[in-house]
Amino acid sequence: MSTPARRRLMRDFKRLQEDPPAGVSAAPTENNIMLWNAVIFGPHDTPFEDGTFKLTLEFTEEYPNKPPTVKFVSKMFHPNVYADGGICLDILQNRWSPTYDVAAILTSIQSLLDEPNPNSPANSLAAQLYQESRREYEKRVAAIVEQSWLNFQLQIDSLISS
Amino acid sequence: MEESEKESLDTVSPENAEGSQNQDELIMAQEKEIAEEVSQLQSKFSRIRRTRPDGNCFLRGFIFAYLDYCVQNREELTRFKKILESSKNELFDLGFPKFTTEDFYDMFVEVVSDLEANGTSQRVESICNDSGTSDYLVVYLRLLISAHLQKNAEFFSFFIEGGRSEVEPMYRECDHLHIVALTAALDICVSVIYLDRGKAESLAIHNFPEDKDPLFFMLYRPNHYDLLYKT
Repeated sequence: MSTPARRRLMRDFKRLQEDPPAGVSAAPTENNIMLWNAVIFGPHDTPFEDGTFKLTLEFTEEYPNKPPTVKFVSKMFHPNVYADGGICLDILQNRWSPTYDVAAILTSIQSLLDEPNPNSPANSLAAQLYQESRREYEKRVAAIVEQSWLNFQLQIDSLISS
Repeated sequence: MEESEKESLDTVSPENAEGSQNQDELIMAQEKEIAEEVSQLQSKFSRIRRTRPDGNCFLRGFIFAYLDYCVQNREELTRFKKILESSKNELFDLGFPKFTTEDFYDMFVEVVSDLEANGTSQRVESICNDSGTSDYLVVYLRLLISAHLQKNAEFFSFFIEGGRSEVEPMYRECDHLHIVALTAALDICVSVIYLDRGKAESLAIHNFPEDKDPLFFMLYRPNHYDLLYKT
């Protein structure tokens, strides 16, 4: 059944294919257009460089009136990402505008990686290290970057072997 | 906002004559100290059309009443379509995202073109009671308000802090300044009757803007707007 939310999600998907933004990619899951998988590549010249971070976006029929629930599936170490992968970002909460689409959401999250807001920490250790010990912070980030890359490699291997 | 409340009411309900259940409810709900205001209200207006109380009620009521006025005054529909068409590039120039803004714009133009061909009050009612369409129209009005506030930022900066993040999110009720911005952007006048002033001796009626004749009337009670119709 076509609803405004589903129609708009098809439009978002079409735009992602026709005019893909740099460093992010996303697609609906095979059986459910309301559930998307996405990948954000860590921005260059940041501690997140070379990371391939997987996320899920869960939409409701209220989209685009209300934002989707966006979560990192890959392990993340960032002041504004909760232990369960949930993201603390104003445009996904009280500053949401129906003019944001999937591409805009992912691009904003990508910018958030290197521009954390330590004043509203979702991970207090990450926020503390970011402010007080940048070297230790970057070490922790390097660890999750490596982990994301290994997981990505494993998936590619399993795709090839199957 | 209760989910059940949102679903239970049409986005814009049928008109109700005085003495009908909704009208009774309106009167009964008022405290005694504003009985005088209520009786003045009754002498001026005989019918009320309720809007779904979901935080979009001003804009849902507004667009219904305005389109309804337009189908009965075709030159206004033509004028509105011109304003609508020129608004698209203004929004782009202000940096609104092209791809999504266009989606809301296209839906609005589709509705107006449909009304040019088949414009009746019944048609307006059925368009405005389709939730998906109503939501899209409301979003575009929010963008017009946001754009007007940005274009006149210097003027409005004396009054507001939030800017676009206060108006673009859905389900967030319009305040006074949003009404000023919307009526200015469309160059029309709407009259709001405020029923929230307690012991006032006469009804508080405010035209936006003050120097024009209103095209329609809205009733404000704390946190909610409905439409009013003259006797």
